[in-house]
Amino acid sequence: MHIHFLLKPLAYLDPGTGSFIIQMLAAGLLGGVVAVRIYWKKIVAWFKRKKPGELEDTDPTEVRDELDEI
Amino acid sequence: MSKRIAASFRDPSGFMFKQKGLVYRQINKSYQADYDALMESGLYERLTKSGAMIAHEEVDKALALIPELVYKVVKPETINFISYPYEWCFSQLREAALLTLAIAKRSLEFGMSLKDASAYNVQHFKGRAVLIDTLSFEIYREGEPWIAYRQFCQHFLAPLALMVYCDVRLSQLMRVNIDGIPLDLASALLPNKTYFRFGLLMHIHMHARSQKRYSDQIVVKDVVKAKMSRMALIGLLESLETTVKNLIVKGINTEWAGYYQDNNYSEDAFQAKKQVISAFLARIKPDSVWDLGANTGEFSRLASDQGIRTVAFDIDPGAVTQNYKQVKAKHEKNILPLVMNLTNPSPSLGWHHQERSSLAARGPVDAILALALVHHLAIANNVPLLDIANFFKALGRFLIVEFVPKTDSQVKRLLATREDIFPDYNQSGFETAFGKVYKILETQALEGSERTLYLMERRIN
Repeated sequence: MHIHFLLKPLAYLDPGTGSFIIQMLAAGLLGGVVAVRIYWKKIVAWFKRKKPGELEDTDPTEVRDELDEI
Repeated sequence: MSKRIAASFRDPSGFMFKQKGLVYRQINKSYQADYDALMESGLYERLTKSGAMIAHEEVDKALALIPELVYKVVKPETINFISYPYEWCFSQLREAALLTLAIAKRSLEFGMSLKDASAYNVQHFKGRAVLIDTLSFEIYREGEPWIAYRQFCQHFLAPLALMVYCDVRLSQLMRVNIDGIPLDLASALLPNKTYFRFGLLMHIHMHARSQKRYSDQIVVKDVVKAKMSRMALIGLLESLETTVKNLIVKGINTEWAGYYQDNNYSEDAFQAKKQVISAFLARIKPDSVWDLGANTGEFSRLASDQGIRTVAFDIDPGAVTQNYKQVKAKHEKNILPLVMNLTNPSPSLGWHHQERSSLAARGPVDAILALALVHHLAIANNVPLLDIANFFKALGRFLIVEFVPKTDSQVKRLLATREDIFPDYNQSGFETAFGKVYKILETQALEGSERTLYLMERRIN
């Protein structure tokens, strides 16, 4: 497998060629979604610009379980 | 005497070893940069403080098992009982999967990446899932893909999807496939409707196709040169997270979870049974208990609520799930519910038969609880009473055991559809057989039923 040279010499897991390729494909699509979401938040934030000193808004209804605290 | 722990050989970054009964981890020089980054980036502190990863302390390097390789020796917090994914109920595996992804995402914020997504690196400890492998991190370099992607899909996504869309019992495929369920197998077993779930389509079905397509091909250069942006990596992890979160088992069919509601003894007898067991436990004061055939853990909690480390085994995934839900709801730290078929308990598995320990090899404990269990082993599985006694004897010093006679409706039910070939299955036959291996310390008839509880201690011979 020739993808090893992209990875650290110590990588002991074989990521698998097929797994590597599908991952690139999936990540390409999904990264786009993340990018859109982040920029959308920025645009929304710009329009709803807060006064200085105002706290970041958090959703109080959000249920936080222990995994969110990691 | 020092000995490397047999399961710890895959990762050249280091390994676990045992010395004078204590477990240490040797970290090799080759892992120095990554280890230092883990400790200095703040990630170690973050993960151990939040309880996501087990803490360790650095100890004298002179303890090293292979001195020429050593960078550091650390002593991780002791996990008393190691369990395996094929012993977890659905919720336990799902929690471990979400933990793994949460850690992978958090690592990126600290400039690290999670290089390992093995389900065996997660343990259920003090009521929650926790990562036990300190060597699972490496310095993140922008452009790198997630090297553990395939492993995550095989160890977590495939079994979870199979449990939801086919049958919860398919978790047992983890027992025969030591490195997780092969994705082509998962893809073949999953129903067609899973092709319409984006996450499962991508991470299982197309993933499996891609593996097959490229199984004997060398990747062309420009594909290899393709880099995966940080945002793409986050997108991948979040997609996996959403896919796992959407996997929910509805109404697990359960044989036993309603047992206490529709069994044949009265509330009084039930309370009396609890009192007798509590009194037995108070007499022997065990540190550790295995409750065999624990159902939803009603009686296991007589031990765990007193701070006794308790593992509650049951064959029924539905009962184990209910038990686990209680653990989460009440934040219980001393009880671990697990799925176990006692007529075919977990064997030793993997390379050299040593990667995963058998149930017996993870014992013995101070006390075994075997309540309303013997008749199942003796009558439903034809095991002679003496053999049952010997099985229990190998697992623990003390035994709290219940004898249920043939006149009891539960036994009648077992005998209803078969010939009674068990002439010795009666109270005196039971006492004779168990008396060969155990000293009977106390006998207590259960009021309001025909059952008897015994406290026994194994004979030394």
